[in-house]
Parts: sequence; C-alpha cells; structure tokens
Amino acid sequence: MNFDMYQDNILDHYENPFHRGTLEHPTFEIRDLNPLCGDEVCIQARLDDEGRLASVRFEGKGCVISLAAASMLMEAVEGKTLDEVKKMGRQDMLDLLGVPLTTMRVKCAMLPLRALEKAIHRYEEQGTVPPQVT
Amino acid sequence: VVSFNIKDLHPHDVASILDQCGVAIRAGHHCAMPLMRVLGINGTCRASFYIYNTVDEINVLLEAIGEARRLRR
Repeated sequence: MNFDMYQDNILDHYENPFHRGTLEHPTFEIRDLNPLCGDEVCIQARLDDEGRLASVRFEGKGCVISLAAASMLMEAVEGKTLDEVKKMGRQDMLDLLGVPLTTMRVKCAMLPLRALEKAIHRYEEQGTVPPQVT
Repeated sequence: VVSFNIKDLHPHDVASILDQCGVAIRAGHHCAMPLMRVLGINGTCRASFYIYNTVDEINVLLEAIGEARRLRR
C-alpha cells in the first residue's frame, strides 16, 4: 500500500538522517520538546566569521515526521545566515517535506524549525548560553 | 483493550498508517506520561473492540499492522 505521508524520501531521512549528532563547540544550542506527543529535539549550530551557519547538528527522538523534518531542515539551513533562517516559515517547512500532512502531524513537522527559531532568538538576545529546556 | 507497540515506530506513526487503512486507534501517552517515562517508551498504541465489531474488521486491523511493520524495511 502507498502511504502519502510516508514516502521513500521521508523514510530515507528518518533512517539515515543528515547532520545527526553533536558539535564540540557550538555557537548556540537548544533543546525543545512537544509535550503533547513527547517528541524531543536538540539542535546545535556553529557560525562562521560571516555569520553563516557553518554547521548544524541535531539529536532527537520522536516520530518519523518530526525526525525527517529535523534532518531536512538541517540540510536546508547549512550555509544560510540567521536572517535567512528567520524568514523561513511554516510553508517553507511543509515544502521541504513535500508530503501531505494531517492537521495533527503539522505540529510534528514544525518542532525542529520552531526550536531553531527560538535558539536564534535567544542567541541574538543573550549570546552563547548553556542549553535550557523550554 | 489491547495495548501494543511496533518496534522502532512511534505510536503516532502507527496510528497514522492504521488511519489510512480505515482503522481508528488511540496512540500516545493516554494521559499517563509519567508511566510512559517509567516504562521507557514514548507511548503505546491502543485498540479496543465493541459489540458491533466483526471478525473481518479485526483482520483489517491485523493487515494494517502488517503494513505499518513493512514501513521499517
């Protein structure tokens, strides 16, 4: 049977995620969770001299959609400036995934992007700080 | 009520797949998040039966579970 939401590229990202892991000297990092479903994501990022995301890594646990979203997001934002990332919205994330999601699952898809936005916001306000649970 | 999990698949993923097969189950914490934490799982799938359910419908459930398992190629 063919499941719209679970197409091969989504499952590929779930099984072999890009940029999964940790950085030794992140410029900023964040741990965020969706208490409703228990999904959890940690994102670390290092900026280069030009203020671009030189490398980004994530760790997390959750459903296929949230982990595939994290993997696709990491791939998409590497090399971008913080301002470019801040311009990304809900539709950009849904476009990256490229599969139809039910209303309930949109929240799973948005967890990594929302976490990254929070991390950038906090970094711009407070600079490099130890991670905290939000 | 039958609680179950499929290895390496989040209960919400199982519920989505079963839903697409026409089977409605509950999935997640079931208002018992501390218990799930103690059990070391991120939730369970929960199927229940009532007097109007037929054997055919149970077979649809079993086939749908098979579909979900095949997702973990």
